[in-house]
Amino acid sequence: MGYKASEQDLMAYLYGELEGKEKEMVEQYLLEHAEARLELEKLKQLRHALGHVKDKEVIAPPIFVGDSRPPFIWNAPYLKTILSIAASLLIVMLVGKFSGMQIGYADSELRISFGKPSTPKQAVPVNTIESLSPNEVQQMINASLQQNNLAMQDSWAETQKKLNASIVNNLASNSAKIDNLVKQSSAASQQQIKDFVAAMQAENVQVVKSYFQLSSSEQKQYIESLLVDFAKYLQQQRNDDLQVVQTQLSSLQKNTDTFKQETEQILTSIISNVGNKNSFGTKY
Amino acid sequence: MTETLLDIAMMHSDNLIARAKEGDQGAQGKVVQLWYKRIYNFSYKFFVDHDLAMEVSQKTFISMCKNLSALQDNTRFKSWLYKIAVNYCREESRKKKGNRSLPFDLVWNRDAEDSPQWESSGNRTDNPERQLQQQELADVLQEALLELNEEQREVVIMKEYEGLKFREIAEVLNISENTVKSRMYYGLDGLRKILERKNINKETIGYGI
Repeated sequence: MGYKASEQDLMAYLYGELEGKEKEMVEQYLLEHAEARLELEKLKQLRHALGHVKDKEVIAPPIFVGDSRPPFIWNAPYLKTILSIAASLLIVMLVGKFSGMQIGYADSELRISFGKPSTPKQAVPVNTIESLSPNEVQQMINASLQQNNLAMQDSWAETQKKLNASIVNNLASNSAKIDNLVKQSSAASQQQIKDFVAAMQAENVQVVKSYFQLSSSEQKQYIESLLVDFAKYLQQQRNDDLQVVQTQLSSLQKNTDTFKQETEQILTSIISNVGNKNSFGTKY
Repeated sequence: MTETLLDIAMMHSDNLIARAKEGDQGAQGKVVQLWYKRIYNFSYKFFVDHDLAMEVSQKTFISMCKNLSALQDNTRFKSWLYKIAVNYCREESRKKKGNRSLPFDLVWNRDAEDSPQWESSGNRTDNPERQLQQQELADVLQEALLELNEEQREVVIMKEYEGLKFREIAEVLNISENTVKSRMYYGLDGLRKILERKNINKETIGYGI
């Protein structure tokens, strides 16, 4: 049989919440499966053990929940607001009444007043006093302008004069100074140039002279040493040559000597060989 | 489960709930009287702590009185009420986790469980002694419950002690009925293992009277 009681089914069966066909299926399954039976038995024992925990007796304390009655009509929030507005309006009106305040609006003019309103006096036009005529004013202006002009001209002329004088003065003194300076400088410069050139020439002459002296003496010395060196060289060369010739001669002499000796020996040996041929033959 | 007068009254409280819903304070008070013991015992088994259980129960019923008018289906009152209670239990549990200290009596009792005193008093059948033994057994069982994780504990308590149907528990927790059954299965399995570890078996429980 393919059916297997799930954990969920077992639980439902254990707590008697299975009915009809499902219950039968689980019972059939339990009959067929010993281990499932055993497990269920264990669970039942456990339930029995759990049953030992008894409920605790407890007395319910009074539970107070905030006043849940519908609010009294006077306590309705909007009514309260309206009432307070009305009360403040009433106070304002009473204060106005007792202080005799009047508010009026007429001829585009809002008037708030305490007590009786007083009508404002008409504004009095200002009376201008007859004074100077335009002509007179013009004359006064002209006179003062003329005065001013005169004074201006005077001061202007004076300053011009002073300025001219000072310029002339300045020019004269400056040109004199410059002339002086130019004269001094031209006079001084001619003399100085002459002196300078003469000094230069003298110096140059001296330098050239000493240079020539120096160079000639040096040349002399150099040539002398050159000659000496050359002589020395020649001497050396001659010596060397002489030595070479001598050694060659001596070696030649030696050679001839040895040759002479050899020939002498050969000759003597030949002679002796010829002299005693027999003895020679027996000897060997 | 033997039904007491209270249980019967609870089962036939539709009329009372309807009146409480309309704001009848007397009816609300009666509803509280009827259900207080159940909610208290539920949260007591959840925490094994009288003060926390009282707090959760009171919060639950205050919330109930305030929100009763929002309850649409009177027949679902029971699961609705447990839903509130479960939520407050979880909230308190989160708060408790906030301070990391372990309650002293929990540590102490764990040592006491393994003490030889418990084993020696196991097989006595003396009446006063037996009562004491029963009490001790209840304590051990409750501690075993505490060792389960919260999800399984909720389901086991609601099923085993509060007698809710799987369908109702599913409604309370907003999960499927099958999930509830699985949690129940693993909860019971876990309990059995815990009790085995504590050496509690048929003999120690003492079958029969």
